[in-house]
Order: sequence, then C-alpha cells, then structure tokens
Amino acid sequence: MRGNTLAMALVVLAVVFAVVAGLYAVGVLQFLVSDPHASHHYTHAILFGVLAIASLIGANFARSKGTA
Amino acid sequence: MGLLQGATELFPVSSLGHAVLVPSLLHWSFKQSDPSFVPFLVLLHLGTAGALLFIYRAQWVELVRSFFTAALRGNIETPSERLSMLLLVGTIPAGILGVFLEHELKSLFASPTAAASFLTVNGFLMLGAEVLRRRAERLAAAGAQTRIEQEERFAVAEQISFKAAALVGACQALALLPGISRSGVTIGGGLMAGLRHQEAARFSFLLATPIIAAAGVLEIPQLLSNPVPLGEYLAAAALAGIAAYLSARFLLRYFRSGRLDPYGWYCAGAGILSLALLTFRP
Repeated sequence: MRGNTLAMALVVLAVVFAVVAGLYAVGVLQFLVSDPHASHHYTHAILFGVLAIASLIGANFARSKGTA
Repeated sequence: MGLLQGATELFPVSSLGHAVLVPSLLHWSFKQSDPSFVPFLVLLHLGTAGALLFIYRAQWVELVRSFFTAALRGNIETPSERLSMLLLVGTIPAGILGVFLEHELKSLFASPTAAASFLTVNGFLMLGAEVLRRRAERLAAAGAQTRIEQEERFAVAEQISFKAAALVGACQALALLPGISRSGVTIGGGLMAGLRHQEAARFSFLLATPIIAAAGVLEIPQLLSNPVPLGEYLAAAALAGIAAYLSARFLLRYFRSGRLDPYGWYCAGAGILSLALLTFRP
C-alpha cells in the first residue's frame, strides 16, 4: 500500500518534470538559463525529460507487485 | 592539448584543471574565455568517452539491455541490472548541477588561479580519502597477508547501495569545477562507499561515460557555429581518445593494489606551485 502511494507520487513528479521539460523546450521557462534571450533551452528540456523517465522507472520499482 | 587532455582525463589529476593551467603557464595562444574553448574541450572529452566506450563495449551492451529489462519489469534480478540502475542514480546529481550551473562554471574556466586552487583542494581530497580508507582497512582486513587480499575484503561495484551511488554521483558533480578531478573524486567517493580501488576506478569510468558523452553531444552545435579549425580539433580528439585508452588500461592494472596517494601529492604540489607561479610571475 505504502509502495503504491510512493509510486503515485513519483508518477505525479514525472508529469511535473515532463511539463517543465516542455516549457523549457518552447522557451516559456527562463529559470537558471545561461542565455535568457534564447528561444529554446534544449539542454534543460533534456535534463527534465531524463528526470521524468527516471521518476517513472522509480514508480515502477515502488509499486506493489501482485503475487501470481 | 589532445594528448594532455586524454592522458589527464582518466588519471585522477584533473584534465580540465591542466587544460586551463598549462596553456596559461606556458603562454600558449589558447584564449580560455573564447566561446569555442569549452566546446573544444568537450570535443576532446568525446574522444575520451569514445575510448571508454571501446574498453567497456561488451559491458555497455549488457548494461543497456539490463537497464531496459529492469526498468520495464520494475524489479532488479541480476548484478548487471543493479549496476545499470546504480549508474542512473549516480549520473543524475552531476547532470542537474551541470545544466543549472553551466554558465557560472564557464566563467570560472577563464581563471587559471581558480583552477590552481581547486587542483590543490583536489589533491587534499584524495589524500583524505586514502587516510579514511586506511582506517577502514585496519578494521576490516585483519589477517590479510598481501595488498591484493586486503583489497578483496571490500565490495565490487554491483554490491554498493543506491545511497552510496548517489554519493559518488554527487562527488562527480564537484568535477564540474576546473581543477577537481572527476576520476579522483569519484574513485575517492567509491572508496568511501566501500569499493575496492580497482572497482572504484571501474565504477568511476562507467559513471563518467554517459555524462561526458552527453555534454559533448550537446556542445557540438556551439562548436560548429564558431569559425574553428575543425580538422585540427578532430585530430586532437582522436589523440585524446588514444591517450585515454592507454591511461585507462594502465590505471585498471595499477589500482589492483595501488592507491590514490601519488596522484594526491602530485595535485597538491602542482596546484601550490601553479598558484605561486601565477602570483609571482612577471
């Protein structure tokens, strides 16, 4: 049960990371970037994309596995 | 520069620190504040990453396969699957700090004094890691006859905890500072996590590969957008790869029984000497 709660939290986190990645990619987010005038921040977008994937992997590990 | 970077990248003596310091001390015509300087260094790093990929090519194939198997299954069943997840956990801290502090760190690259200071710190960090390791050896390796037997009392990379992998990854983030050696601090971190010297070196090399390769690939557009002698740069990257291959072979053999001490003393001495030269030269 606790594992499922953690898994759900990690899925939510993954969604947040994915949204942030998208915002960096289209240039809406300018937080902690080297060139605020650039229209895209692909490095930041890739980082948050990787964090989203890592969170999803964490969620898959955390969820309770049913016994067959 | 290619040979220098390739040789010093895997030796725990800070390639970046040397790449900033040596041209400055020898009055080479590199402009470290030039926009193409960091991409040039990154291209040299790509040569190094290529050498590491070549050395561990079979292991990387197995690691990638294991990573996807474990990620999709949601469970770790083999040592290779565990190692692939440990590498993911260890890579994240340096990735986050590298992306967010990139701009601030690039301005530090222009300062040989900062590189010399960090090189000195790097030396003392490695010496400190070995002091702590000797204390652990006295507690854990009672009765061991030889240095190799002493080492065998410690863990292999697949056995360390995820917390320890995150710690080693955090150590790797320190290497974004010029003068702090990536391999030095990650091997030191690996020793703190209870790894054998040779295994700490292997984990360090495996951990370095994705982040060096990713940094290199991301900087290629900037390299191409500047008017640079690309042929010379590529030749330098190839030389860096060859030097890195030979260095890695030597180090993996050396760390069967060797320690970080000689590199620690070298970094501390070279850092202090460089600081003196930079301060008092005419």
